Amino acid sequence: MHERLSFHIKRDSVLHRLNPLTKLVLTLALIFLAFTFPWYWMPHLLILIAVIPLSLLGKVFREFWLTALKLILPAAGFLFLMQAFFQPIGTDVIFKFYFLDITSESLMFAFKNAMRVFVMVSAFTLFLLTTHPSELMSDLTRRGLPGQFAYVIISTLQIIPQMQAKAQTIISAQRSRGLDTESTFFKRAGSVLPLVGPLVFGSLVEVEERAIAIEARGFTSKHAKTSLHEIPDSDFDKILRWILFALIVFSIGLNLWLS
Amino acid sequence: MAFVNLQNLAYKYPLTKTNALENINLQVREGEFVAVIGPNGAGKSTLCYALAGFVPHFFKGEISGEIEVDGRKSGESTLDEWVLNVGLAFQNPFNQISGAKYTVFEEIAFGLENIGVPRDEMKTRVEEAMSLTGISDLADRSPYSLSGGQQQRVALTSILVMRPRLLVLDEPTSQMDPIGTREVFGVVRRMAEEGMTVVMVEHKMEWIAHFADRVIALKEGQIFLEGTPGDVLTSDVLIENGFGISRYTSVAREAKKQGLWKKEKLPVTLDEAVEGFK
Amino acid sequence: MFEKIKNNFNTQTWVLIPIAIAINIAVGQIVLALKLPVYLDSIGTVLVAALCGPWAGALTGALSNIIWGIAIDPNALPWWPVAFMIGYMAGRMAQWGFFKSWWKVVVTGFVVAITAALVSTPIAVYLYGGITASGSSFITAYLMQTGSDMISAVFSTNFLVEPVDKITTAMLAFAIVLGMPKRMIGGYPKASQVETEGVQSTTQLYIAIGVVVLLVLFAAFMLRNILGG
Repeated sequence: MHERLSFHIKRDSVLHRLNPLTKLVLTLALIFLAFTFPWYWMPHLLILIAVIPLSLLGKVFREFWLTALKLILPAAGFLFLMQAFFQPIGTDVIFKFYFLDITSESLMFAFKNAMRVFVMVSAFTLFLLTTHPSELMSDLTRRGLPGQFAYVIISTLQIIPQMQAKAQTIISAQRSRGLDTESTFFKRAGSVLPLVGPLVFGSLVEVEERAIAIEARGFTSKHAKTSLHEIPDSDFDKILRWILFALIVFSIGLNLWLS
Repeated sequence: MAFVNLQNLAYKYPLTKTNALENINLQVREGEFVAVIGPNGAGKSTLCYALAGFVPHFFKGEISGEIEVDGRKSGESTLDEWVLNVGLAFQNPFNQISGAKYTVFEEIAFGLENIGVPRDEMKTRVEEAMSLTGISDLADRSPYSLSGGQQQRVALTSILVMRPRLLVLDEPTSQMDPIGTREVFGVVRRMAEEGMTVVMVEHKMEWIAHFADRVIALKEGQIFLEGTPGDVLTSDVLIENGFGISRYTSVAREAKKQGLWKKEKLPVTLDEAVEGFK
Repeated sequence: MFEKIKNNFNTQTWVLIPIAIAINIAVGQIVLALKLPVYLDSIGTVLVAALCGPWAGALTGALSNIIWGIAIDPNALPWWPVAFMIGYMAGRMAQWGFFKSWWKVVVTGFVVAITAALVSTPIAVYLYGGITASGSSFITAYLMQTGSDMISAVFSTNFLVEPVDKITTAMLAFAIVLGMPKRMIGGYPKASQVETEGVQSTTQLYIAIGVVVLLVLFAAFMLRNILGG
């Protein structure tokens, strides 16, 4: 979990050097194309012509496919099974189980949805592998995103691993005091409060001091903020963003026009 | 005209019955290093918050009297303007890490980004401040990976880099070893020599005696004793009222009862003790 | 409008939101580990909504969901509007005074549950054709196979699942507020919304717990009917 929240891998590649906003627009473009482009094989095509080449271009091929195996494929696979079994569409029954029919239509439908989810999460993963969160936030802040948002995002990413470590400590501590996390339903339900209480109150106590500390350092200052890091934004970035934006609009437009 | 001027200051936190500060009158001149001592609950932290603008702007509550720094009244200012002039670092270093930054260098630059310092100047100022407090080698580390003492240095540096006119420190060395403590006191002394006014809550009496110009002893929200470190830190009333004293003072005090300490004045530091016992 | 959004956010709000998101995720994972039939992954969202207001709650919900989606379960990603509305609605209910006693909090939980059911229905229908990656889709599938149309099947499923979870969530968030010392609450923008008078009635608490147990039994009964049928 800890390493998952800091996906970013420091490398020198074309993808790493792109402006963070360009990469964000690229991510959104892949997602919108996968979900709205009115052609059945679009998600599959995107994997071939975008996801795989981008993972090579970003020099994160290995890391990307490891994440894909651990996180994305199981999720997409599970969705595929759920939909293949439970989707009540189609008449061409291939397989019958209890009240559930698997039809060729439901298989096709499930496959498309699983691939859409695969493209969506792949796009995000590639984005996070090649973009440091603080680069993204510096760039967005420079473009007018309130500095407080940058604070919330990065602070969240850093607090979650700490909180999970605390949760783990608490779970072990409660277990050693005889609290059973693996027994009957009511015992397990009853064990939630003693687990959650210390975790929650422990962190709420800190809020006031943390707020004082950042206010003492000009968090609420009305001056225009500056940024330590300079984030490059080339003409190529700008052109690419417009092309991707046009693609998104085209895909949504086509979808609406045909429906 | 004093640089810091507190006039009849009294303050009560919301939802409490008694005043946390009462009848505080305090003048500090520019470039003076004032140490504040006192037992738990004496109002030391509240005094820090009052100087730094958080009382009353952040905590609300009831306030009377005047807080004036550099000729400006706290009551007529806003917190975001006030903190440009008055810097505050406090005890718990973990809660002072902004959380918004991944490296110590970025962490220290956080305040300068917020107040809009240009990039080149920002880098120079961060580098200078880090070398001043001796943490240049931590620049690329995550603030969360540091020891308590290192985090306290980062917290102090993060405030120093903003170059406040008045520096308010609330037990900034509580998690440091003796060497670290001495270094930090040295840095603070140097800042005072360069014209920064310092108010610092501490209970490490030897270092106060070494470095501070004046000591304020607080008790139950009021100023109880005030004077040079040599006078205040060796006074009998201090001991009788439950304040801690330096071990050298207490040894010499016993020695005096036995007739072994010949001088009239008790020591606070090791050097003074050695000198007196010769 | 802009001012109304802005007054949800002071420095304490900005500091609380990351902590609340972490609470959502940590508690969500603990509950998942305990294999309980609820999610309880919006306690932090409801807490922010009550203390800071609807827009702060909405932001907390949406961000929690996106981070959960990226880091833990990708199938959660498209549901961020649901989490957004949970935060928003909890904030509105608190603003209308429904975060001051146990029975009012049960009402808040119920309204939040209905909101969640309403918002997730179109997402499930248009994005997934009714069948999502959640275990409860089993019920949806049955209802569709037995002749319900997709929208009502999805909504009925959500309606069966959500109230237990959201009422419990709201009650836990209220328990946290009751457990916080008063001076810790004072600094949040909407502190007065959660001001309670005197001691909370334990009878009300027991009745509230009773309501949750009844809802669990009702859901179990419906499930048995479905499976038995």
